[in-house]
Order: sequence, then structure tokens, then C-alpha cells
Amino acid sequence: MYAVRFHGRGGQGAKTASRILGTAAFLSGYLAQDSPIYGAERRGAPVAAFTRFGREPIRERGGITHPDLVVVADASLIGDPAARISDGITEQTILFINSPLYAEQIRTQSKLPGRITTLGVTEIALQHFGQREAISALLGAVAARLAGLQQEPLRQAIARELGDLGLAPPIIERNQTVALTCYESVQVMERESVAEPANIATTFHTPVYESPSRGTARISATGNSVLRETGGWRTFRPVLVADKCNGCWLCFVYCPDGVISMNKDDRPVVDYAHCKGCQICVHECPTHALVAEREQEGRVAWTAR
Amino acid sequence: MDSQMMTGNLAAAWGVRLADVDYIPAFPITPQTEIVEALAKWCEGGELAARFVTMDSEHSMMTAAGAAEATGARVFTATSSQGLLYAFEVLYSVSGWRAPLVLVNVSRALAAPITLESDHNDVLAARDSGFLQIHAETCQEVLDSILMAYRIAEDERVMLPVIVNLDGFSLSFTREPVSLPDPEQVQKFLPPFRPAHLGFKASAPHALGVAVLGGTPYAYFRHQQHLASINALEVHREAAASFEQLFGRRYDLVEGYRLDDAEDVLVITNASASAGKAAVDAAREEGKRVGLLRLRMIRPWPADAIRGALRGRRAVAVLDQNLAPGQGGILFQEIAASLYHEAERPRALCSFIGGLGGQNLSVGEFRAIFEQTAKAGVSGKGIGPVLLYTQAEHREMTQLQMVAAGTQRANGL
Repeated sequence: MYAVRFHGRGGQGAKTASRILGTAAFLSGYLAQDSPIYGAERRGAPVAAFTRFGREPIRERGGITHPDLVVVADASLIGDPAARISDGITEQTILFINSPLYAEQIRTQSKLPGRITTLGVTEIALQHFGQREAISALLGAVAARLAGLQQEPLRQAIARELGDLGLAPPIIERNQTVALTCYESVQVMERESVAEPANIATTFHTPVYESPSRGTARISATGNSVLRETGGWRTFRPVLVADKCNGCWLCFVYCPDGVISMNKDDRPVVDYAHCKGCQICVHECPTHALVAEREQEGRVAWTAR
Repeated sequence: MDSQMMTGNLAAAWGVRLADVDYIPAFPITPQTEIVEALAKWCEGGELAARFVTMDSEHSMMTAAGAAEATGARVFTATSSQGLLYAFEVLYSVSGWRAPLVLVNVSRALAAPITLESDHNDVLAARDSGFLQIHAETCQEVLDSILMAYRIAEDERVMLPVIVNLDGFSLSFTREPVSLPDPEQVQKFLPPFRPAHLGFKASAPHALGVAVLGGTPYAYFRHQQHLASINALEVHREAAASFEQLFGRRYDLVEGYRLDDAEDVLVITNASASAGKAAVDAAREEGKRVGLLRLRMIRPWPADAIRGALRGRRAVAVLDQNLAPGQGGILFQEIAASLYHEAERPRALCSFIGGLGGQNLSVGEFRAIFEQTAKAGVSGKGIGPVLLYTQAEHREMTQLQMVAAGTQRANGL
């Protein structure tokens, strides 16, 4: 069995990518299985999806703890412990990171084990579609290549999965074309079988009663959401062009996350550690004083957790 | 001690009044309405210093009750049947918040078809909700159980909400003498509610029932709820001892009636236990060695007490006043599970379904239950589920069907 785990942010298409890979494997004659896991279903929040395929019936379900291949749709997730990208990764695991950086740079920055390969899929998506979200087919293609699947079942899988999402045939065709470019571009690595860990004896803890102050699902610490930095969710950041701002406060009013505060000169100050990059302020600004700038890896937003 | 004639509903209201609750969200439903009507009157008249609020549904009522309890207020509410089911999802939240309010359910069979009289499919549907459950046989026990319920619920070792159940009509609208406990004694029995994990202060907000994904924290909190519920067995014992000392009445997890030398035992709950006891007396007159076990606390399940009462018997009959369609009696299953590992388990377990929707349980039916159970005990082969339905009931039903179909002639059958 070959096990692929996708990590992405809500809205990036990690689930669709896992389905494209699952369908491509199925159309290749394998037994296949794919499934997503997500929590609050918010755009930008970490999500994961899983694809398994093989010649034998697949008995596992749910999360993949020992992946052969990990596909990371957003490099900013590497620094997010909630995304749990490194779970079960060994030296044999192939890690694909969506990043324009070289694999060696990622390795040095992230200290992840495994064999890393990269491709700037988001740049390709922006170039061809003008949208950062439209990377599911591209990621599916990269995964198919690394998992050793052929082009034709991949083409068909993209058509089926994007068709199910209601995309128009011309858009699906463009996705197929660009996806096959990614399929060709990604640096292939030899598949190495990831050894299943030996059965480790489980030891149990007998639950004991604790006082309701501890034993109730309850949070009494105030203001702790500031600890959860969400700046890494951004692809674009709002940036102020100061001389265009008329101090109307509309950005402050519209910001759904309360990350814009106004200084004494009535100019907005963005808390980039928590701004999720929704760009509502950019759209609402009547004088176009807020503009969207593409985030670059290694800068503040990228390192924010 | 002052004794007076009162219905089960009024006894419930008196229990609430004596418990000096702070907040009562209410929504009417037969046969419960009399409880909240009495409380509304007392709140208006100043006899009870509680805030009484009529809500737009049982779902809102239960939500308000849980939310108020979470602020540290002592809360009471009451419902029945469809109302309990309408509030259902909130029950699980309230127990998860570890909000120890008391809810009275006046048992009424579930629709469809609709009826007003009692069986226990409503309250037993909530058996897995995390609420503790105390089922009462008499009007006095209703009042006393509400006081005990607050004491047990608010104990740091428990902190879970409680349902006190009484049967519609046969207790709710039935008057019998009830002794009113002295309010000062009640204050000794029931200390003020000062929960460490609940409360409301603007300067110290907290979130209850937050999202926990991934399974591990969820399992931890669920385990805590289970352990808290199990703790209630011991806390009930302590509360029962204290209650007996102050008020002279004793309530255990289960009540045995003429069990000492009983070969065969009938297991029963709620108000029908009174008729069951009369049937035991009648059978004893005829020299039959039978006894009765009334389950009072249903959650937590008093497995040890049940095993203690039933081990070594020849045969056990469980009379379920409920029906799980496609399965049988709900309590029968739990009794059977409790006895499986008992070395001296009874030779036969018999399951009877009766008293559905207020259906009569006659002297003859109890006699038949004892006879069939004795036979099963001799043969070593249990029976059931036996759907109790007499020939007279069958005739009545056939006649109704003819009327409904328009086949009954003007001159009779």
C-alpha cells in the first residue's frame, strides 16, 4: 500500500488534490481510498487529507500515521505545530513542499527529516489562473507523479473531480494542461518503502476522577487567542499607502478579526501576527489606500505561527 | 413535620421551593404543567425568591437552565415526554458543562400515536445523556428526591445534573399525604451552592464546552463524566444517611420488598411498584416465596446493589414499562448485563413489557408474571419479551378497530 498525506489550508484544495490522486489510482487499476479531516472549516485553517492505494484491500481508515509521501500545499504550515506535518516522517518519506525555494533551503530552515522536493505551485497558479486557491489539480498532479502514476488516469481524474465541483470544461482543460506541466516539472524521487514500525506494546493509564475545575471542558484563561498566531494563513498582506488614506476608519470597522487598530493620526495599523489576509479591508477601502502584497517566504508573515 | 394531601406535581414544586432555587425557566406540557404553575404563583407571591421565566420551547428552556446553572445559580426546570425529547440535544451539553441542575420529568408515553398517560420511554431515552436519574414511587419520594438530587448533583465529586422522574397521572395528579420537611432542617441538609468551576464575573470570563478535536481531550472529558456519575453511588449513600437522620425517611439506590427468603423476584420501577408490592403480598398469602426489587436510581446504574439483591434467586422477572421496538425491554437488557458475571446468577431471566401509555397492570397480570417466572425458574429457561395484553384488552381494541373501520353496526357487534 502507498500512503499519501496532504497538508493544506482551508480553501487551497488539499481535499480535492487527495481525491484527484485517489481517482487517478483507482483509474490505474489500484484499490484506493481517500478522506479529509478538518475542524472548524475556516479558510486558512490547517486541514489534512489522505489517499491510500495498493493491490490489496485497504484495511486502514482515517489519518495516515506513517506516510510514504507528504504533500504540503503551503510552506507556512511547516512552522505550525497544529498542522503536525512531521508526524510519522522518516528518512524514507518523500516530502513535497509547495515553495519556490530549493529543497536544501527548506531542509535547513525546517530541519524536517525525509527527502524533500519543491515546486512553486502557487506561483504557477497565480500565473495561469490569477488565483492562489486553484492549486488542487496541480498538487494532485505532483502527488501522482511522485506516487508513480501515469498521466492519462491523472487527466481523467482531474476532469472527474473538478467536474464534480461544477467547474466549466474550458477551466478544467486549462487545469489539466497546467497540472501536467507540474507533473513534468517536479523532481522525481525513488520510492522507498517506509517500514511499518514494529508493534509496540500499549500501556494504559486508568482514568481517575479529577475536580470539576480540571475535569470540565472549560477555558478560564482570558485573552489566550492572541497566543494562536494566524498571520501564516496569508498569501497576500494588506499594506497601507499612507498618503492615500483619508482616515475614515472603514477598514477598522470591516476587519472580521479585529486586527486593525487606528493610531493617533487616524491611520490603520495592522497586527500582521494575526491578520489572516482575507483582504476585506483592501476591498472596502474607498481611497485604495490599502493594497494587497504577495507574501514572501522568510518574511514576517511566513514565520508567524 | 406537617403532613398534607398533595399531588405528585405539587410535591415536586414543594421540593423546589424548599431547595430555595434561584432560577426557573419553564414551558408547559401535560402532565407537568401544574409544577411550574405552582412555582410561578410562589415566585409572584414572594414565597420563593426565584426568577421565573416562561420560554418559547423546551429547547430554549433547557438551554436557559444550563446557562443559568453555569453562572452558579441553583436552577430547576420540568418537562415531560415530547418536551424532554425536544430538549434532548441540550441535555448532553448541560451534563458536559457539569452544570448540576435538577430537571423533573413527568413520564408520559411518546407519540405517535399521541397519548397523555405514563410509560418510561421518554425518561429512559435520556439514560445516556449524562444526567443522573432518580425514579420515584410516591409523592413523598418525589419531594424528598428533589432535595436529595440537589445535594448529590452539587457535590464536588459529582457535579452532574439530575432528572427526577415521576409517573404522569398515577403520581402527577394523584393526591396522597406528604410530609413537608422543616425549611431549617432542609438548609442543614442542602448547603448553599458554591461551585468552584462555575460562576459569572465580567472580569473573569470563561468558556464552557469548547471544541476539542482529535479524540484525546474528548475521551478525557467523557471519562470524567462517567467517573463523576459513578461517584454519585457513594454520594447518594451519604446523602441518604444524612436525609434519614434529619427527616426520618430512608432512600437507597434500590428498594427491596420482602426479598429475605424470596425465590423469585420481580424488578420494577416508579409508581407501578406500589401495585407490584400488593401483588407480592397477595402471592405471599398463597405461600409463594416472591419479592420485589424497585430500581430507584437508574443512572448511575447501581450494578452492585442489583447483583446483591438478585444473586442466588431462582428466577427474576423484569417488568419494563417501556418498549425498544425490535429489542424489547430497556431495563431487562441492563439487568441481564449486570448478572452475566454473577456466579450465583438466577437460573432464569424473564422479560415482561406492560403498562405502556398508562395501560392497566392488573392483579391477574402480576399473578401471571409470578407463575410464568416460577415455571421459568424450574425449567431454567427464561422467557420474553412477553407483551402483556389481556383478552379483555384485546376485545376492547377489536371493538375500537371496528368503530374506526366503520364496520360496527348500529345494533352492536
